[in-house]
Amino acid sequence: MKFKPSLPEDGINVSHTHPLREALLLVGGVVAIGAAVATAVAVAVDLAAPHIPIELEARLFSGWIDRGVEDDGAVAPRERLLAQLLNRMARHWPENPYVFEIAIWDQPEPNAVALPGGVIAVTNALLESVESENELAFVLGHELGHFHSRDHLRGLGRGVAFSLLLVALGVGGGGSAVQLASLAGRFAQRDFDRTQEIEADRFGLALLAAEYGHVSGATAFFEHLPELDGPLEGAFASYFSTHPLNADRIRALHAAASEMGWALRGERQPLPLLSPAR
Amino acid sequence: MDPFVEMSVRLGIPLALLVVTYFIGTALERRHYASIRERESRWRNLPAITIRSIPSHWQVIECTLITGSVVISVDYFKRFLAGLRMIFGGRVKAYETLLDRARREALLRLKEDAVERGCQAVVNVRLETCRLANARKSQSIAGLEVLAFGTGVKLLNVP
Repeated sequence: MKFKPSLPEDGINVSHTHPLREALLLVGGVVAIGAAVATAVAVAVDLAAPHIPIELEARLFSGWIDRGVEDDGAVAPRERLLAQLLNRMARHWPENPYVFEIAIWDQPEPNAVALPGGVIAVTNALLESVESENELAFVLGHELGHFHSRDHLRGLGRGVAFSLLLVALGVGGGGSAVQLASLAGRFAQRDFDRTQEIEADRFGLALLAAEYGHVSGATAFFEHLPELDGPLEGAFASYFSTHPLNADRIRALHAAASEMGWALRGERQPLPLLSPAR
Repeated sequence: MDPFVEMSVRLGIPLALLVVTYFIGTALERRHYASIRERESRWRNLPAITIRSIPSHWQVIECTLITGSVVISVDYFKRFLAGLRMIFGGRVKAYETLLDRARREALLRLKEDAVERGCQAVVNVRLETCRLANARKSQSIAGLEVLAFGTGVKLLNVP
């Protein structure tokens, strides 16, 4: 037996695909699958959300939100005022099945949120920035619009569905892959939120017109907040923000008002005792 | 946080890491392969074979244990590629070159050990792989060791 010297073969144990080609192929696949699954989940949740009975919703979500109720059990005066205004607005939505409640959150951003179970949370910063009752009424009307189309459940349902999806992916894949899929999912989610906001704006506007006979004050809230969208500009900005840019919304509101023949001008009601400082 | 800033941070840092580790990893790999090929042709005449018994015509003076071992770790870019591969399945091409280099390097170190000890051949060569667990995250791998070992022989008559 003779020893025959030889060199190892290059390329039998190693495939010669360029790593960047491989990366492109795999990333493209993950993004495509992520977007497809996210869209499918969003559509499924949208179809299911309106069929969740409101009693079930109230039972599921009662007691998990801090409603800002004072220690002695009495409702704080600001909450009471807000609740009164809210109920006046809700009267113009006759088939309303909810019993609404108000929560005040101590947060620096002016914001209002519709939460499952008929809770509307407003931040202190919002209460401090509004200048008339009409303005606040429109914000509340807008949140009622979310309840009307049950966006709050859709948002939550999507959030839950996506989290479950990511957990499922996390079992099989690496960390970066999960991040990628999550990003793809969030992008697909954004677009739904924007159309929902415009829809809720229109609903709030109708309630405002029914309550006051005009829609003065509807756009005041957005006009207070131009600086929020400061660092973002152009099409890029509006794609990355959940809420459509304020100018877009103001334009849509004006268009809706003139379409329905609602007066944009009218007397605004003063707003008594909302900020704790006042 | 501002959504634009959040997006930049969440995407930017991993992306920058991917680009940097891709270029560094590619350069290091090319250099390592050059060194492997050069040494393989230098030591090609030294037999390191899997035969279990010494051929009868070899006149062995002395024999000893010869080893060569390599510890390797994965770079960020390769780990990213392999992570994506785990979703779709198929050849984990990112790891193939890495392990190929480790095996060949281990065999080269075995040969260099043999030369240092004055052996003319290594028989019964075996390769072992063991994974080094990451102490903090028990699931992840800190690296791999590839160990080549065999019986080095000093001969009277060089085959």
